[in-house]
Amino acid sequence: MAATKSNNEPTQVYLPDFCSAGALLIIVLVAELIAIALTLASYGPDQSFLIELSKISFLILWIALLGTALMCQLRSFLETAGQTRAFVIAFIALELMCLVVAEGAWQLTRVYGESLIINDLHSVFILRTFAISSIVIALAMRYLYISSQWRRSIVLEAQARISALQALIRPHFLFNSMNTIASLTRTDPAQAEEAVEDLSDLLRANLSGSANQSSLKQELETAAIYQRIEKLRLGDRLAVRWDIDQLPMRARIPSLTIQPLLENAIYHGIELLPDGGEVLVTGKKSDEYLEISISNPVAVGEKRSTGGNQMAMSNIQQRFELAYGNKASVKINDAGDRFTVTLRFPLDEGHA
Amino acid sequence: MKVVVVDDEQPARDRLKQLLDDEPEYQVVGEAANGQEAIKLAVDLQPDIVLLDIRMPGMDGIETAHHLNGLENAPAIVFTTAYDEYAIDAFDVRAIGYVLKPVRRSRLSAALQQASRLAPSVLATVAQAAKISAERKYICARSHGELKLIPVTDIICFRAEQKYVVVDHNGGQVLIDEPLKALAIEFDETFVRIHRSVLVAIDCILRLEKTADGKSRIVLRDTSQVDDKELIISRRHLAEVRRRLKGV
Repeated sequence: MAATKSNNEPTQVYLPDFCSAGALLIIVLVAELIAIALTLASYGPDQSFLIELSKISFLILWIALLGTALMCQLRSFLETAGQTRAFVIAFIALELMCLVVAEGAWQLTRVYGESLIINDLHSVFILRTFAISSIVIALAMRYLYISSQWRRSIVLEAQARISALQALIRPHFLFNSMNTIASLTRTDPAQAEEAVEDLSDLLRANLSGSANQSSLKQELETAAIYQRIEKLRLGDRLAVRWDIDQLPMRARIPSLTIQPLLENAIYHGIELLPDGGEVLVTGKKSDEYLEISISNPVAVGEKRSTGGNQMAMSNIQQRFELAYGNKASVKINDAGDRFTVTLRFPLDEGHA
Repeated sequence: MKVVVVDDEQPARDRLKQLLDDEPEYQVVGEAANGQEAIKLAVDLQPDIVLLDIRMPGMDGIETAHHLNGLENAPAIVFTTAYDEYAIDAFDVRAIGYVLKPVRRSRLSAALQQASRLAPSVLATVAQAAKISAERKYICARSHGELKLIPVTDIICFRAEQKYVVVDHNGGQVLIDEPLKALAIEFDETFVRIHRSVLVAIDCILRLEKTADGKSRIVLRDTSQVDDKELIISRRHLAEVRRRLKGV
């Protein structure tokens, strides 16, 4: 999980993995593009574009490949060095490497006598290489820094949303439950005791929600506890039918998904019906997918999906997207006199 | 002091009764699980104070308060609520009595002592602040000394006649003592004005037709209750009626 991983990473990291083949390919491509740009800017009327390009490419590719190898070696050291120091060290190391390569190239052409390959004075050639490489390295570093900041902000935003959702026990529910418990302490102390225990378990599940995945068994237990508390308050008005025998209890599911949906079904459905109704929770299993739907009757003339409902829904949608990409779907069907939310996601029975 | 407790949740009603049991000056004379029952009880038992939950199925607390206000001996009202930040802001501003759940004994006594009758305009602003639709779901009418609650969805039209407004609904006809102008504003979404003195439920309109003398008139889906002759569209409202019907 990207979200949990970033907790352990130091915040100053802005380096991609230079040791991977993908990064190497991109660096080679970018180096070639720079070579083309430089050639286009410099070749004269009596020079062949391709020959000039190959000369420049030769030098640039050496610099790029050695630079990548250097960064690959330095990466673990730079990650712990702190932002400014990492920047300075990487810059100096790359610059030195460039100068070494440039000097090497100069010496090679001198030894093999083809002075036309590098049509420059020694010092001018080294200086030019130094200036161009400084600009390119500085730009590349700036780019890496910005893109890593951007990526980090996305991860942080997702995390913030998740924790916001996890804290999202409706105050309405909490205070009503407390009122119920206050009432029960006189009429039925044993039940009051049980309600306090249930409420504590529910709050614990909500607070310790940092593990992004939990088992279906756990999720259904949390939902059942929630149902018990609401039952005290709503009495015969609330009925829930659990049709979930098909579901493998070990399967993984993003935590705190079923309980908030049950909460929605009660808050927007059952509570608005004078005679109550039945919430239906159905689970289906196919080869690779699980499908869980929660449906509730809707009061005639009630305006559907108010703010809170949509917030919980879009949160669940985002978390499913984060966990499964486009392999999962959250569908809403409010046709007729029932409101149904259907979760469909890949079956993962975990490593047990 | 006679108190009626209104809440759709049994434990919440129990809690209020428990607390009031310890206060000798207040007697709980009845309890109701919804707004309709509450109004009936208020008529029968003539309580001094009604403790009223805001979020209830069917008729919510704000609408119930509205109807209770229309009673001859309107009771004072104290709202109870678990969490309605907007409503509470509005209550504080207008000095309306309320208690928060879980109900605290001291807070309840204080609220009962300062309980007062609420003006309709005050309720309307509270509903607005709390983002509760101020549109009533029921119309309250007195006929033969009895109180009747008519669901707005059953109403075909309102017709202003001299001192009263005639309400034609699926179950007959009642008179109410409310200005047509206010009704037109309140039920703007579901009713259309076809004449200076007539509002018709858009859902009840089948089509428009021309009369022999060139006027337009409404044809209702169900013609058994109201005579179509009453439903001539005035020239001034014709364009608006057409526009609203097209939108359906």
